[in-house]
Amino acid sequence: MTLDTLPKILRENARKYGHRRVAMREKDRGIWKEFTWEDYFVTVRRFCMGLVHLGLQRGDKVSILGENKPEWFWAELAVQSAGGAAVGIFTDCLPDEVKFYAEHSDSVFAVVHDQEQVDKFLEIKKDLPRIKKVIYWDPKGLWSYTDPILLSFGQVVEQGKAYDKEHPTLFDQLVDQGNGDEIAAFCYTSGTTGLPKGGMLSQRWLVESVREWAALDGWFGKGYGYLSFIPPAWITEQGIGIAGAILAPMVVNFPEEPETVQENIREIGPDILFFGARLWENLNRMVQARMIDSTYLRRLIYRLALPVGLRMADMKGSRKGPGFLWRAFYFLAYQAVFRQLRDRIGLSNVKTVYSAGGAVSPDIIRYFKALGIDIRLFYGSTEQGVMTMPRQGDIRPETSGPPVPWVEVRLSHDGEILIKNKYPYSGYYKNPEATEKMMRDGWFSTGDFGHLNEDGHLIVIDRMDDLKELAGGKKFSPQYTEVRLRFSPYIKDALIIGGPDKDFVTALINIDLDNMGRFAEAHHIAYTTFTDLSQKEEVIDLIKKEIKTVNATLPDWTRVRRFVNLHKEFDADEDELTRTRKLRRTFVEERYKDLIGALYGDEASYEIEASVTYRDGRKGTIQTAIQVNRIEG
Amino acid sequence: MIHVQKADEAIIRIRRLSLKFGGLQALSNVSVDVRAGEILAIIGPNGAGKTCFLNCINGFYHPYEGEILYLGRDLTRLKPHRIAALGIARTFQNIELFSGLTALDNLMSARHIHMRHGALLGCIFFGPTRREEIAHRERVEEVIDLLEMESIRKKTVGSLPYGQRKKVDLARALCMDPSILLLDEPMAGMNVEEKEDMARFILDVYELKKIPIVLIEHDMDVVMDICHYIVVLDFGRKLAEGRPQEVKDDERVIRAYLGEE
Repeated sequence: MTLDTLPKILRENARKYGHRRVAMREKDRGIWKEFTWEDYFVTVRRFCMGLVHLGLQRGDKVSILGENKPEWFWAELAVQSAGGAAVGIFTDCLPDEVKFYAEHSDSVFAVVHDQEQVDKFLEIKKDLPRIKKVIYWDPKGLWSYTDPILLSFGQVVEQGKAYDKEHPTLFDQLVDQGNGDEIAAFCYTSGTTGLPKGGMLSQRWLVESVREWAALDGWFGKGYGYLSFIPPAWITEQGIGIAGAILAPMVVNFPEEPETVQENIREIGPDILFFGARLWENLNRMVQARMIDSTYLRRLIYRLALPVGLRMADMKGSRKGPGFLWRAFYFLAYQAVFRQLRDRIGLSNVKTVYSAGGAVSPDIIRYFKALGIDIRLFYGSTEQGVMTMPRQGDIRPETSGPPVPWVEVRLSHDGEILIKNKYPYSGYYKNPEATEKMMRDGWFSTGDFGHLNEDGHLIVIDRMDDLKELAGGKKFSPQYTEVRLRFSPYIKDALIIGGPDKDFVTALINIDLDNMGRFAEAHHIAYTTFTDLSQKEEVIDLIKKEIKTVNATLPDWTRVRRFVNLHKEFDADEDELTRTRKLRRTFVEERYKDLIGALYGDEASYEIEASVTYRDGRKGTIQTAIQVNRIEG
Repeated sequence: MIHVQKADEAIIRIRRLSLKFGGLQALSNVSVDVRAGEILAIIGPNGAGKTCFLNCINGFYHPYEGEILYLGRDLTRLKPHRIAALGIARTFQNIELFSGLTALDNLMSARHIHMRHGALLGCIFFGPTRREEIAHRERVEEVIDLLEMESIRKKTVGSLPYGQRKKVDLARALCMDPSILLLDEPMAGMNVEEKEDMARFILDVYELKKIPIVLIEHDMDVVMDICHYIVVLDFGRKLAEGRPQEVKDDERVIRAYLGEE
């Protein structure tokens, strides 16, 4: 029997390792609880039988909505064991968004985390006739809920145990019927443009491509530890956390709460980790901010050690390599500072570290390389999985590495990246036109603009749709500048504006409230709210200085000439950001078009009245004057 | 000490409570029933005597007249620590936590009324003391789980923002395994989101423990939403009482809050 599906491999793992090896850990009430492969398998089996007893059939879809907890993984494997597909939904989706995903995917069950998610489903259930049951796994707050559609995870497991006893061969039959072509999971794409599309991933994708990836990057067979906090609705977690953990195998650790993730990473000291682009930036920002707050002696030592580390990082990449003297200096710097720093942020043990899903500033990669952490910025997508991957020992900050062995990369005449993949996705659910549109003569068009350098490494510059032209036809990439601006601890987000009707480039800036607040305190500047702080003269001068630093590295016509500090932060609840925190450019430009008009006009300030949406759905308005700031030089 | 409660049975009977500070009459002849299975709100303008009322139940103040009957005992002459041992827990307007200790230590300190080992036995950690410590820690972790405080359990209370300190205060009261909860303005100084979270926690506690809760609160929306019964105090006297809808429409209450025309 070939092990071509995850459930089959899980069953095999339980047989091989039983109670001898730990598969998962969950921190519950302050203590890490362990689950062995046998525990994992038995719960999956019982939950699967419970669902089958409730009517789950081969090919059915089940929506899963909750934080990263073992129940999420158990539910997905249980659904796959019966030949169904798991549909992951982001936990901070509003009820309308949840309704879209549950309805579009034709889900017949919903497995949810807690009262918050249950409430969402109860609100929309009348529009979701297909949903038979809503199954929750954290009963807190649900003690007096009597809706018959609700069932607890524990109850389903109990019912499954009984059903399994009555039909002892059924589970194995269902698992044996599975094959590589069956759809295992749905990953809806971020939707930076238009409605989200349901990318379908087959068992073959989860098993074969992940297996090759694990072998390529050397985490196959090493028994690594991993911390699962990336939403499984996102393809990366499906690949590493769900599939990778079963294939490699790895131990998956689940954090207590989203707020304790940093602390839990320190406790576990994982070997393999994936941080999105923004997380690396935040980590870097946090270290810098803490340094500003620390004692004189510590700051001094840090300021001495960091250049040594950075120099080492640069030399390691060059042909000559570092000499003995520098190696000695680095050893000192590492023992004095970097080792402790790594321990503080929980990255002492990491051997394989990834990033993807957005542009990471080469400066950040260089920074962590100085600490001895080689971040591999790979290029991947929901539709094609991992496409290029930097290889161990040949990681260059500006590139995304050469293509992986099972993928071919080509560039179209206008610079678009085209892909041929041995393990592609299985199209978009119920959307053959969109699936068709992505293919061009047998090659998948990614919609990304890039180029291949002389070593065959791919450099991804920007989305094709996001490339802008200034008046006169000069092309520029706003994202390049935005990423460099975000490297400043005082700038949380930036949107670069420019167009064929505009002569120069401008920026909308979100200040970083935490770090700017610290700066204000240190300089005795009194402020009340984010809005107030953003318009203070000292703050504007500081931002101006930061922008000038970035301008110095850019070609003349792409430099930022004017900027405003926005009166409020970009927010996903207001559709300004996607759920994965990417800026929705067209929407934001449309929303703030009057402000942008003022940016290019002659006025020194602009009266703005903006509507905001609070977390509970209510609307309000903010009224304030925003300074239009010019940059000379 | 768990008292099995019948619905509507009065757990605490307060009769003719009167309290004076020199010439200032803080409370006059206040009679209130705290019933099983109810969230009772005490409302009134500032200075009406609401916190004084709670302090009398607790034993911080001793009224010169009246009685507070709980399980057949009159609480008015008892010291506060005795009243706490009877299962009456409260939170404070000014929080009153040990700001130098971590949140966890503050919560463990609330378990003292249930601890059996004395100071001497506490010096020898292994054996019965350790087992008891673990049992208490487990109870405390359950409360931490209920109030979603995992991320602050090891943080020093003094470094926590106001809203989170209020949460620790509530958690501490819960760690006493109380039969009655007295909350003094639990939502003061919070924004909309924090208030909704706090309201949800209070309701969770109510549904889980099924104990009566007495709540002093100014935010009328909150009171209307979560309370079953309201008592209105004004200048130390009971002005009105009843179900939320009755009290809201009561003319005397409206006049007391908004003033005469």
